[in-house]
Amino acid sequence: MFNKIKLQDGVNLYIRKTEQFKTVNVTIKWKAPLEQSAASERTVLANVLEESNEKYPTQIAMRKALDELYGTVLYTDVSKRSSQHIVSLFAECVNDEFFAGEDVLKQLFELIRAVVFEPKASEDAFDQTVVEREKRTVRDRIRSVYDDKTRYAQKRMLEIMRPDQPASISAYGTEEAVSAITNKSLHQAYEDMIQHDLIDIYVVGDVDEQDIVTKIKESLPFKARKVNERLEEKHANTSEDVKTVRERQDMKQGKLHLGFSTPVTFRHPDYNKMQVMNGIFGGFAHSKLFMNVREKESMAYYANSAFASQYGIVYVTAGIDAELEEKAVQLIVEQLKVMQQGDITELELNQTVALLENSIRSSNDSARSQIEIYDQYKELDENFTADELISKWHSVTLEDVKEMANTIQLEVVYLLSGKEDDSK
Amino acid sequence: MKEVVFDELQEKIYTETLENGLKVVILPKRGYSKTFVTFTTKYGSIDRTFKPHGKNEFITVPDGIAHFLEHKMFEKEDGDVFQKFGLNGASANAYTTFGRTAYLFSATNKIKENTEVLLDFVQEPYFTKETVDKEKGIIAQEITMYDDQPDWRLYFGTIENLYKEHPVKIDIAGTVESIQDITAEHLYTCYETFYHPSNMLLFIVGAVDPEEMMAFVKENQSKKSFDQPEPIERQFPTETKGADIPKRTLTMDVSKPKLNVGMKCTSTDQQGQEMLESELSANLVLDSLFGRTSPFYEKAYEEGLIDESFSYEFSMEEGYGFAMVGSDTEEPERLEKLIRQTIQDSKEYWPVKEEDLERMRKKKIGQFMRSLNSIEFIANQYTRYEFNEMNLFDVVPTLEKLSMDKLKQAFSMFSDDSSYTVFEVKPADNK
Repeated sequence: MFNKIKLQDGVNLYIRKTEQFKTVNVTIKWKAPLEQSAASERTVLANVLEESNEKYPTQIAMRKALDELYGTVLYTDVSKRSSQHIVSLFAECVNDEFFAGEDVLKQLFELIRAVVFEPKASEDAFDQTVVEREKRTVRDRIRSVYDDKTRYAQKRMLEIMRPDQPASISAYGTEEAVSAITNKSLHQAYEDMIQHDLIDIYVVGDVDEQDIVTKIKESLPFKARKVNERLEEKHANTSEDVKTVRERQDMKQGKLHLGFSTPVTFRHPDYNKMQVMNGIFGGFAHSKLFMNVREKESMAYYANSAFASQYGIVYVTAGIDAELEEKAVQLIVEQLKVMQQGDITELELNQTVALLENSIRSSNDSARSQIEIYDQYKELDENFTADELISKWHSVTLEDVKEMANTIQLEVVYLLSGKEDDSK
Repeated sequence: MKEVVFDELQEKIYTETLENGLKVVILPKRGYSKTFVTFTTKYGSIDRTFKPHGKNEFITVPDGIAHFLEHKMFEKEDGDVFQKFGLNGASANAYTTFGRTAYLFSATNKIKENTEVLLDFVQEPYFTKETVDKEKGIIAQEITMYDDQPDWRLYFGTIENLYKEHPVKIDIAGTVESIQDITAEHLYTCYETFYHPSNMLLFIVGAVDPEEMMAFVKENQSKKSFDQPEPIERQFPTETKGADIPKRTLTMDVSKPKLNVGMKCTSTDQQGQEMLESELSANLVLDSLFGRTSPFYEKAYEEGLIDESFSYEFSMEEGYGFAMVGSDTEEPERLEKLIRQTIQDSKEYWPVKEEDLERMRKKKIGQFMRSLNSIEFIANQYTRYEFNEMNLFDVVPTLEKLSMDKLKQAFSMFSDDSSYTVFEVKPADNK
């Protein structure tokens, strides 16, 4: 369990002391509202900070310093959750006990300080060359989604289902928004992030708690900030009609993506019931989709469902022969229908609960997973434990699953497939 | 049961080779919740020509059969094995590589029950014409899925360029056409030949008591009977030196061109400590020439020749090996020139200084220590090392003593002009 230490208003430190790992993990999360142009700025900013700082002005100098610290890892990334945009800094170093006489952890915190508080910048501008280079890098990253047909199809399905809403806004923003970034706007975004974002800091490893608190107060002197009201997910209007959209590229397989909406979200009291429903529907290798679409009909190598609980969306993805679209959609919808009618067995329920339990307990074996899971669930309950979640899954009944299946409504059928003249 | 302690790493393994020839390795992990178990045979996509168990003539089987067999192991007369694992709360899977097929599960509960399911399903084949034919549709979709992945095509296209004869050039899953020829009889032949316990390794890592688990595995194995182990005879074609094809281009629906440079490795007859030193050295060489602290990387990144997709790797197994360097790039010609120039320059003037070697040594040691947090890494890698007569836990001591000469020698394995090839994926110009 994490021990919470409030450093300032809006700045919290969570420490988990454990001898389980050979490394110490440090994660810092900056949280702000999710918005297209801000997302782009924060993504470029994350890259700029990772690249260079006053202490290590070039990428080479920075990377050499990390190598010297026994391959210490330090990088930034961005993500989103509900209507929140998150910039994360991840760092990990090997426990000092393995290297006699070294103080890697101390040096790591000095490095983190340089990255966060001493960027290579004049009064109100970063190094222009670095900014332009990282704008290009982020644009390339956004554009490259096109090359991954599964990700691209998923992106398109969400855009059609929830246009201009958090569910479909990329954590990287858009190419246009990246291009519009100026050195000044980027620096402003930096100031905003350092001064106004909610900040959660996590440390997991074989550490001395008091020592960590001291090190962090020294190296990361964040000031108090106004704590925003919790960001509520805005529920999207669901449409009664099913939208069917077909798009084509030069490719062989048909990427079928179905979007269903549900009023049940992460904060909804039925959240845990819906997790079970999704597991039975298509979350695991014993699920209805796997057993019927793949094993029985041999139509697909993968046919899964997932519950995007932050957005009230259940989606199904399957790689199929595009000519079998109609049959595949019918078969998928039919799996949901039988669940809505209550055709669910105790076996399916038990398998699903056992595997959900396995996955949450397994997450205990990775420091990063511990951090990510706690960071999400603490919004519901600061004293969150895996046991609590597991007991909730155990209390889910067949009737609950049926009820959950009945909240689900198909909204979008999206198929990305090859061009017609490709079949020659 | 033998106990081996690795003091510096704070790890301990327990090993035993059972009467039927199965090697069992157990590594208890302090503080871990889950247990990860892999059951692996030294049999992969390259093993296509061999003497079947009990026969004297070599046969060649259809491409993609090892992977097909992996799929078909999960289906039994009484249904799908995933159902059993699911009920026991285990997440199960399998994968096939060029030289290995692994079956695995991870679970936080019922470890013995799940280990029993794993051992039993892999040791009780059940193939019929119907089940084999049914699988063809599923695997055809899997192959088609990979066909649409430009990075996979780039990787495999490069290997196809490098190798003229060796079956490493054949896609692990085969082709939609080649799998049509696979029959239940083929599967039994391959199974009988390659799934004898003496050709397999069971690795158990996580929240376990070693004595208890070893006794459990032994008891399970003693109830089954196997033929006497026989040496397996595989046949590989003679491979020419140097890359087979210098350059090829493929057009796909991508947003930016992709370039991959491949370098074919000589002296791939190594095993054991020699191989370990060679592959660690080769990795250090690639780190120095192309890693994030290299002049190459700085120049290429600043000039926009590479982006975040940039990567390089060295891969070596018995009989084949290669180095690769590649990236998405708007300027494939210039990038290729820079990669090639970097190789050429290094032949004329060795760029790695002692201080670089020391720094990279530190980095690699740290990386290795970090990866020991992952029980999946430990099980998968230990098995690969063991099949090549190396020991995973020799990595740190070996890194500690690697010399500059060893690095130079490793570089010479893949830096000859003749070993060089280029593969490019170009965007379709219809947008």
